Amino acid sequence: MLQKTSAEVGGMGHSVKRKEDLRFVQGKGTYVDDVRLPRMVYGQMIRSPYAHAKIAAIRTEAAKNHPGVLAVITGQDLEKAGLSWMPTLFHDKQMVLATGKVLFQSQEVAFVVAEDRYTAADAAELVEVDYEELPVLVNPHKALDADAPILRDDREEKTNQIFHWEVGDRHRTDQELQTAPVRAEVRAVFQRCHPAPLETCGCVADFNPATGRLTIWETSQAPHAHRTLFALVAGIPENNIRIIAPDIGGGFGNKVPIYPGYVCAVVASLQLRRPVKWIETRSENLQSTGFARDYHMTAEVAADADGKVKALRVKTLADHGAFNAAAQPSKFPAGLFSVCTGSYDFSTAFCEVDGVYTNKAPGGIAYRCSFRVTEAAYLIERLMDVLAAQLQIDPVDLRLRNFVPPDKFPYQSPLGWTYDSGNYQAAMNLALEKIGYRELRKEQTEKRERGELMGIGVSSFTEIVGAGPAHTFDIVGIKMFDSCEIRIHPTGKAIARMGTKAQGQGHETTFAQIIAQELGIPVADITVEEGDTDTAPYGLGTYASRSTPTAGAATAMASRKIREKAKKIAGHLLEVSAEDLEWEPGRFYVKGAPSKAKTIQEIAFAAYTNLPPDLEAGLEAVHYYDPPNLTFPFGTYICVVDIDKGTGEIKVRRFVAVDDCGNIINPMIVEGQIHGGLTEGLAIAFMQEIGYDESGNVQGGTFMDYLVPTAMETPNWETDKTCTPSPHHPLGAKGVGESPNVGSPAAFVNAVVDALSHLGVRHIDMPITPWKVWQILKEKGVAE
Amino acid sequence: MTAIDRNSAMSTKVRIRFKINGADHEAEVEPRLLLVHLIRDVLGLTGTHIGCDTTSCGACTVLLGGKPVKSCTLFAVQVDEQELQTIEGLTENGQLHPLQEGFREEHGLQCGFCTPGMIMAAHALLKKNPHPSEQEIRRGISGNLCRCTGYQNIVKAVRYAADKIK
Amino acid sequence: MAIRIEKTFQIQEPLESVWAFLSDPRKVANCVPGAQITEQLDEHTYKGLIKVQVGPSVTDYKGQAHIERLDHNSHEIEMVGKGQDVRGKGSASMKMSGSVRSLPEGSSEVMTVSEINVVGLLAQLGARMIHEVSNKMFEQFTANLRRELEKERSKQSGSPNSPAEETGNEPQPIKALPIVVSAIGESIARSVKQIFGGNKDP
Repeated sequence: MLQKTSAEVGGMGHSVKRKEDLRFVQGKGTYVDDVRLPRMVYGQMIRSPYAHAKIAAIRTEAAKNHPGVLAVITGQDLEKAGLSWMPTLFHDKQMVLATGKVLFQSQEVAFVVAEDRYTAADAAELVEVDYEELPVLVNPHKALDADAPILRDDREEKTNQIFHWEVGDRHRTDQELQTAPVRAEVRAVFQRCHPAPLETCGCVADFNPATGRLTIWETSQAPHAHRTLFALVAGIPENNIRIIAPDIGGGFGNKVPIYPGYVCAVVASLQLRRPVKWIETRSENLQSTGFARDYHMTAEVAADADGKVKALRVKTLADHGAFNAAAQPSKFPAGLFSVCTGSYDFSTAFCEVDGVYTNKAPGGIAYRCSFRVTEAAYLIERLMDVLAAQLQIDPVDLRLRNFVPPDKFPYQSPLGWTYDSGNYQAAMNLALEKIGYRELRKEQTEKRERGELMGIGVSSFTEIVGAGPAHTFDIVGIKMFDSCEIRIHPTGKAIARMGTKAQGQGHETTFAQIIAQELGIPVADITVEEGDTDTAPYGLGTYASRSTPTAGAATAMASRKIREKAKKIAGHLLEVSAEDLEWEPGRFYVKGAPSKAKTIQEIAFAAYTNLPPDLEAGLEAVHYYDPPNLTFPFGTYICVVDIDKGTGEIKVRRFVAVDDCGNIINPMIVEGQIHGGLTEGLAIAFMQEIGYDESGNVQGGTFMDYLVPTAMETPNWETDKTCTPSPHHPLGAKGVGESPNVGSPAAFVNAVVDALSHLGVRHIDMPITPWKVWQILKEKGVAE
Repeated sequence: MTAIDRNSAMSTKVRIRFKINGADHEAEVEPRLLLVHLIRDVLGLTGTHIGCDTTSCGACTVLLGGKPVKSCTLFAVQVDEQELQTIEGLTENGQLHPLQEGFREEHGLQCGFCTPGMIMAAHALLKKNPHPSEQEIRRGISGNLCRCTGYQNIVKAVRYAADKIK
Repeated sequence: MAIRIEKTFQIQEPLESVWAFLSDPRKVANCVPGAQITEQLDEHTYKGLIKVQVGPSVTDYKGQAHIERLDHNSHEIEMVGKGQDVRGKGSASMKMSGSVRSLPEGSSEVMTVSEINVVGLLAQLGARMIHEVSNKMFEQFTANLRRELEKERSKQSGSPNSPAEETGNEPQPIKALPIVVSAIGESIARSVKQIFGGNKDP
């Protein structure tokens, strides 16, 4: 289906070296903090030390009078402009600067603007706030108790419950569970963690009074959506707002929401008529920006005596923090969590989720979660291992027995999803072969006899990405299409822009490769730009692995529109009818006379110099793509661990990752994405948690306590692939960026539990630290 | 270093002299000015990045007297009469350094934010140990966090550079 | 962040003088580094200030202490205190019970059990160090207590060599950075001791 291109052209399948690297390796990237404008000033946030408290008074005089200070903004000031609250991306509102009370430690209370960073910091020290502490709620299980403090007095209903959501067939599922010969259950907490991209969030807001235009350089994964929201909320005409998302140092979902810092910087710039820069510190980033997970889940499976699964029942408590700022499609309060039947052919299922408020930072959708698919995949993969242990069936055999078979695709899951394509057995078999699974099981038996602890963990996940079809998917009402606009110049070079915004995914290269594939123009001749709302066509941005499924498709479709026009021009140049022409990447030739041809470059030149009378000049196209469905990448990951009985330390001996994302644009880039995501999965499984103590103090609010793996902790990852194209995507491609984070935590946890399963261990909650392991070893009497 | 009392109400500024990327410089700075802010805000060399506030991430790594340091944890006044090298100083006559080439060839970067600090740390490593093993490379860059790559291709990039420099 | 600290120390002074000193809040406040009483609200309630300095940043806590129980027969005291950072960076509260008993040869033993709860910035950055910092504060307190009792005794005995009276009214803030630095040193020393020998608590 896809015609091959030469390495010089660099179409699909070529590991083209990245175009963006040249500036990055020389330190010539432009990240938001690199933006320096004349007369620019600096903002700093003052934040609450309390998790729940009334604000009795804020004294700003000393700060205002400090030399070099230009403004001190409080919630009361914003209230006058109707801006002290702003809408979240999910049917709620959140305070920009606190009015009345604060609801989580590190919540924004006041904003100081000064001539330079140091003066702003000095001034921040001078602001005094009187708080009256209120009782704190940090345990989500207590949120709905009769005596729980009600956190949101701004809401009509005085309750800490945000939503109740259910899907599936409750009655049938309950029946199956009651009558099944085998039942297994797991209670799994997916701990609160944080994506922590290496660049923190920030912006430069520049209101130019001479032109009336507001330009905002912003760390934003979704610049167009931000622009529309700023227009609606701040009342500035949308054509007078320009958002530029320049180079972004990692997003991972952290840079999708609109944060109070952005709004305060905009307000300050409008007030002072000078550019205002706000860059948060790492502590602020970890403690107040969009966290990830915090799902408290129970899953039950009904199966027959051979382990064939029948029914799945899931109940989840979702801790959303103080505001519901989950950045997800508007009809899905629990994101795409209902993909929790995973790769297995259940006949019935039921899933319910309750969301609650607590005195913690808001967020929930982040860290490569694919809209809660990380939680769902973790749950089902843990449950399968629990079932396998209970039935004493090998976890691989149990999975093979239950996989949706290839001939059942497109597969209708009992919770409403239509999986486009899949071949779970093939990925599993390749992984088994690569890791030498059966030999490892033999080794494990031998090691157990010697008292050594070794475990093998398997995860066969199904992902769901590419949000999404307009009939079901929108964010705050904006449908989740995406777009591409391509213009070919007379000399055959091209410029293209999309509505997505990469933060390291390599779109400047990969999207150029799509155009190279479709038009035969070499990648080197194609400039790809994203992130400037003045020039890029409207799109919903890059997150949830949606870019290739949506904007990538739009790029292919726009290219094909150009090819259609090119064909007519070629016919005109060759003096034949268009039907007599064949295409191969880079040229049209006459059927049966391949030497009679015109290259795309010659056609491009003709588009401006020698056109048929009925055609407009130029060679360009724009396409807004509404995907007919999501895409369903999948894979099998297998992890081998050895555990030290003296220290509880877990050593990852090997990790094999077999991914299937359909047709691949750039294998080198896909491999890089897998390496990075697996490293994040490792961190989540073994090292990371944003915890809160009973007073609501954040534990893990700096990189001293919130650990990121270094090169020392990270093993070498072995990657491979199978290829099951998407039947509905123009290039047969699926997304892939989040698969490693979706699939790997279960592989790591399954491996550790497997190492200890002969001691009766069935589940351990993450992060599985050496301390946790050592305590288990001690309890089981095997610690050294 | 000379103290200058321009205005007794403000903190006393200090004059420092230093060399950066081979060029001589002078600046008047507050004693509390961090080296990384001297480099980024005063000198406008924004290749060196800030990724944390607890000296944990290494994005701010530069070479001071040839040794890798975290510029967020030094004061500007501490580099008086010293020599600094940042990522901008690695390219010579428009030619990429083998490390810069290696990072591109081996896909050792994605978002690019850790890359300058990572390259400077690797640069210091290779000067001290021109033929490092994989473990030695991993140890040599263990002070630099990366969220995107999982380090595997960074190790390959450093190995590429080590082979090229030979 | 809730922390429980138990401290027992011996002092070469008779029970009665120790008890008399410890049941006088103003005298006790004088021994706590950086603290001062600003107002007495009633017989058992006092308002006060305590200054803590970490590096260049000085934090002023203001709060209240209330003596819940003072038993002159059993020599037991129970006290609760609560303070807030005046600029709004956090708060701390404490419940303390203390008792004094006689030891042979005219000395006494003081036993205290404190439960401290810290909220705010300090609880994030200082969580690890709160134990060590409290230890250091306690050391300084007992040193000050010993010195004050010694002064009182020599004043009573009219010794010509009594140390000059301290006239400073300004409470010296606890310099928590040196405390933290030496606390780190002690932490390390403790680990080293544990690795290389002895299970005794240092």
